[in-house]
Amino acid sequence: MSEESSSERKLVLPGDLMETKSKPGRGIFRKDGRIHASVVGHSSDKSGYINVNGIKGRYNPKTGDKIVAVCAETGPSIWRMDIGASFNSTLHHSESGWKVPFGDTARFLSIGDAVWAEIFMVDAAGSHQISLKKDDCRKLYSGTIVKINPTNVPRVIGKQGSMITTIREKTQTRIQIGQNGYIWIDGKGDDISLAQKAVEMINEEATSKGLTKKIEKLLEK
Amino acid sequence: MSNDHVSNLMKGHMESLAAEGKRADGRGINEFREVKIEIGMLNTAEGSAMVHLGKTKVLCGIKMLIGTPYGDSPKSGTMTTSTELAPLADQSFDPGPPREQSIELARVVDRGIRESRMIDFEALCIEEGERVWMVYIDLHILDNDGNLFDCCTLAAAAALSNAKIPNVQHGVADEDVDLPVTCWPISCTFGKLGDSVILDATSDEEGVMSARFTVAHDENGNLRAAQKGMNGAFTDAEIREAVKTARASDNVLREALKGIQ
Amino acid sequence: MAGQTDMELIKNGVRMDGRKPDELREVKIVAGVLDNADGSCYLEWGNNKVYAGVFGPMECHPRHKQKADRAIVQARYTMAPFSVNDRKRPGLDRRSSEISYIASQAFEKVVMVEEFPKASIRVDMQVVEAHAGTRCAAITAASVALADAGIPMRDMIPACASGKVNDIVVLDLNKEEDNYGQADLPLAIIPSTGEVVLLQLDGHLSPEQFEEAMDLATSGCMDLYDKMRAALENRYGGKK
Repeated sequence: MSEESSSERKLVLPGDLMETKSKPGRGIFRKDGRIHASVVGHSSDKSGYINVNGIKGRYNPKTGDKIVAVCAETGPSIWRMDIGASFNSTLHHSESGWKVPFGDTARFLSIGDAVWAEIFMVDAAGSHQISLKKDDCRKLYSGTIVKINPTNVPRVIGKQGSMITTIREKTQTRIQIGQNGYIWIDGKGDDISLAQKAVEMINEEATSKGLTKKIEKLLEK
Repeated sequence: MSNDHVSNLMKGHMESLAAEGKRADGRGINEFREVKIEIGMLNTAEGSAMVHLGKTKVLCGIKMLIGTPYGDSPKSGTMTTSTELAPLADQSFDPGPPREQSIELARVVDRGIRESRMIDFEALCIEEGERVWMVYIDLHILDNDGNLFDCCTLAAAAALSNAKIPNVQHGVADEDVDLPVTCWPISCTFGKLGDSVILDATSDEEGVMSARFTVAHDENGNLRAAQKGMNGAFTDAEIREAVKTARASDNVLREALKGIQ
Repeated sequence: MAGQTDMELIKNGVRMDGRKPDELREVKIVAGVLDNADGSCYLEWGNNKVYAGVFGPMECHPRHKQKADRAIVQARYTMAPFSVNDRKRPGLDRRSSEISYIASQAFEKVVMVEEFPKASIRVDMQVVEAHAGTRCAAITAASVALADAGIPMRDMIPACASGKVNDIVVLDLNKEEDNYGQADLPLAIIPSTGEVVLLQLDGHLSPEQFEEAMDLATSGCMDLYDKMRAALENRYGGKK
């Protein structure tokens, strides 16, 4: 992620012409051979690609992303999972790692249950599937989930993970940050609440200066 | 953020916090969120108020028109309360005609205002049996983060106390005068969260609570209206306790209302 | 338009509210005023006051309205009962429905709907105080709310009306001019291309006056566009 402070980055707005020789990446569109921004965001022009990183917006699933998902609907052999994107994602029983008899999905995962999962397929029409068969993916049994704007996820992680390490250490909690902006926090009740407060503060003041200091102060209490 | 799917984890976490008398946002179980009241922002309304209760925002406009009184109360003005759950306030608010949810909300607010006799209806009589003032309270929900009942009652009370009778526009008298307001009803709404009862629930808390109870008091501490809602239940003791808690907790809202006078 | 009137709405080149013929009323735009909506905007234009809120892209309901290859924009314009002097009945009337429909289509031209098959983008415009020109105020506010929601779009669309009073072409009619004037021409454009995405006209204009009115409304749109950009820059930390 970009390590520049927000004041050094250039804000662009939808329709703005981008002066560049790079290839078009995210958050842009081409018109008459020229490149324009399509979203409110900060531009970055490196490694031959020009991107506009949107400041706001719903989660746009990418293959390989680790996310927190909440069961919204059960079918005979699939679950429909809320991942904060425009559409719910599908978890097929064959990607669950469980031996699920046909029609018995709710016994394994019922509405409101949460998982730590990976996006394993996104198709051209925009639909996507998640999997529980990768790495540390699993059903989540304790703790809580805090939802933030997915574009603020890098701020919660911080430079080389500095922010999240601080929060974990000071609050004595386990935290897993979904790229979709759903954050799982586990620990003792009060510790969870403090970590939640820190995460929500980062989300609300993502663009303000001196955020690290503010968070440290909050956690000292 | 959408609150369509409050996870079971959040539910468990909030319930266990509430059992210890705590909340996810750091409040005590009988504590209101921060309240802010602004008045008089609308020129086309006879009275107006915007109330922020935490992140919940409600805009209220009062309109007054002249009409004929009801046959059984020829000397009394009338009052109508409506709520608009504007689609911009919540993803789950569908565009379309008012639903039961909106109608219940409007009726509970209406009862609190009406039964407290906040408005002196006889003072709204222009000509007995012929012409009276009709007061329209329109509540516009702009941002829903829970507890619309108390936020709407507060917005209605604030807008009414700021209203002027439009005598000049309607040729009734040479001068617009303040709408006579006799007292301020305040409602307190509780939610049953697990085995606990909490005051002033947020959207997240409303998503996991099983029952709701609203009670409106006048400033003398007498009950004026109440409503139990949702498909869960309270124990008899919980209801009695909530009524007592309401009297002890509604001061912050009363102070906020006094602040605008 | 009420049509011809003897009322003197412009005197020595000055309008009743003190403006010159080519002058906008004061405009204030604030982006991101609501917490729940994905994007939002509050706009004051003269005494007009409008809130706009956007949700989406999200699954389109009802399903039969879904388009297999793109998103649809579902815009809704309503006026609050207390927004006018005589209380307005709540809900959509024929005028609000028409405005909602043409605004939806205007937004579909700039929003990159092809990126979100089967989805819906919900745009809600709430007029809480109305003094002529509310559809332009609402569309302008909604454009800012769409950008604030992070919705990919080719440009934002400002909207502004021109019209005719006392046989003079003027920008941005106020309430009296709207009631007693001779023509009203609301216009919404794509500033980067100059394309027209919304145009209505009622009243009476000569061909020459129409040309003049188009020029004036377009320049009004460009002025608004600067204010829309400033609102977003203000919200998101501005430009160096």
